[in-house]
Amino acid sequence: MTVALGLSLLVSAAAGVVLLRLAWPRAAAAWPWPLGTALGTAFGVGLSSVLLYLWMLAFGPTRGFPLAESGLLGAVTIAALMRGRMAPRPQPSPSPGERRSRLRYLLAGAAVVALIAAGAAFLANLQRQPHGEWDAWMNWDLRARMIFRGGGGWRTAFSGMIPWSHPDYPLMVQSLVVRSWLYAGGETLRGPALVAATFTFGTVALLVAALAALRNLSQGLLAGLVLLSTPFFIIHGTSFYGDVPVGFFFLATSVCLALDARYGGATRRFGMLAGVAAGLAMWTKNEGLMFVPAVGAAILLSGSVSSGWPAARRRLVAFALGLFPMLLVAASFKLHLAPRNDLLATLGVERTIGRITDLKRYYLTLREYFTHLATFGSNGFGSGTWLLLAYLLAMGIGRRAVDRVWMRMAAIVLALMLAGHFVVFVAMAYDLPRLLNSSLDRLLLQLWPSALFLLFMVVRTPEEAGSTLLRADPS
Amino acid sequence: MTDSAPRTPDGGDGTWAVIRVRIAVALVLLYAVASGAAWISLAATAPGRPAPDEISTYESRFQQLRSALPARGVVGYLGHPDPTGSTPGEQNAASLLHFKRHLLAQYALAPVLLLEGIEPEFVVGNFDPGTVPSTPAGFRIVRDFGDGLVLFRRAP
Repeated sequence: MTVALGLSLLVSAAAGVVLLRLAWPRAAAAWPWPLGTALGTAFGVGLSSVLLYLWMLAFGPTRGFPLAESGLLGAVTIAALMRGRMAPRPQPSPSPGERRSRLRYLLAGAAVVALIAAGAAFLANLQRQPHGEWDAWMNWDLRARMIFRGGGGWRTAFSGMIPWSHPDYPLMVQSLVVRSWLYAGGETLRGPALVAATFTFGTVALLVAALAALRNLSQGLLAGLVLLSTPFFIIHGTSFYGDVPVGFFFLATSVCLALDARYGGATRRFGMLAGVAAGLAMWTKNEGLMFVPAVGAAILLSGSVSSGWPAARRRLVAFALGLFPMLLVAASFKLHLAPRNDLLATLGVERTIGRITDLKRYYLTLREYFTHLATFGSNGFGSGTWLLLAYLLAMGIGRRAVDRVWMRMAAIVLALMLAGHFVVFVAMAYDLPRLLNSSLDRLLLQLWPSALFLLFMVVRTPEEAGSTLLRADPS
Repeated sequence: MTDSAPRTPDGGDGTWAVIRVRIAVALVLLYAVASGAAWISLAATAPGRPAPDEISTYESRFQQLRSALPARGVVGYLGHPDPTGSTPGEQNAASLLHFKRHLLAQYALAPVLLLEGIEPEFVVGNFDPGTVPSTPAGFRIVRDFGDGLVLFRRAP
């Protein structure tokens, strides 16, 4: 069973990496294996979920899926080999000083220790709560069970008779759990655990690899250390909720947009990949429905600020092209399977006007925003927010013209997401204090990997800031 | 590339820059050490071998009942505690416990849909262990599984 579960992950990751390798615009940018592997895994996992959804629409959750999916991977690999796209292209090698420095050894050692410690804590927490936390058995894993056990009647999982289980939530997490059970040949608690571990540690890998490719390895290791040391990120990773997974796809979108900003003049493909990643976020949690227009608006706004309309238009078109297939998939789910969202169902004109004209709601939401932002990532030493602020002040900002538009875009996306959630809290929450208390930290967690990515893209690297620790090791 | 960083109070020989970088990196490392210690402590206090958790234990009550239910469809649900109390706090606590037990029963008995009430033909009774369940009017007990778990069916 464990081998079959491992195979399920391997098939997803391999398919994603091969497909990404095929789509990678090699004429514009060299293929970095660490980033290609992390980003390819993100796309592979997401596309596996979509494939299973389409398979279920045609055949139901049947045991034939793993065979069909593995066959598809084989076909894609053969196609890639025949097109001769798999041979690695040499990457520019770092300077000797970049390759070997005392700081880099120190950071690499610390990152390995942090990874082992976080991995041990992750496993220990899984052992304590193998079914995850409340929302997992009320929603995510309940839905996976209903689909897997339901056989031909799997659509019952989306019955409006159990609205408290949020049957309108998108299918990424649930379908991946079902997929793991189809590979394993039966239900096992290791299935959701593997899905949770993939998203949690996949996010760390993507963050480190993206910064290593776009800035340098030290910067990637520093960001990875902060993420691995964020208590809520590791602990919540074992809850089997959708927040870490959706944060993974938010980050993947941001990384693709950063690649587009760097190399987009020669290719539209990174913009399209950003659209696919944003679509996968939409397929993971309803917050993705807010994320997609936020990215679109950020592309336009950053274009207007930097007087780069042609580039913004080109980026927006590419983003929309990548997003379109995922829009169709999500729309088919929302229109044909999912009942109405419970939060929207409580909306009424009078009630909403009453809420948005109540100043107390603004005050309460603002106060909680400030408190939760200021204390986010607290671990006894200090909060992650204050740590990053101090880090930014000490290191200074690296103003690289090449990333300026992307930085604006990424900052606008984060600001719009925070503002959008603020509006939802004020206008829609029935029991505002309870909802703020139960969900604000989770919403911040969704944005945390993207915020770390932005910060470590903006801040100067230790090498740029001029540490003598960075002298090349003479040995 | 133009960088913006605080002006150096060291006459420009780079000492201040080095101190700043060391402080910044040290902050990140200290943050990592604090979390790492918490992770190791969490891992060290984990039970040596997997022990049944609350959900698995609760779920095991439903094993026999599951095989007695129809493979799919809608089943009624009656449960303890009653969502009442003498104070709002007590009422909230009772409601939450009632809801949690209903959710766990649904989680255990999926893909059958459990609806609060006695409209369907079959009704699951999920009562406190040791209580004598009262049969709803118009129903008969199909089987008492013990531990407060009963399956009722509408009498013909």
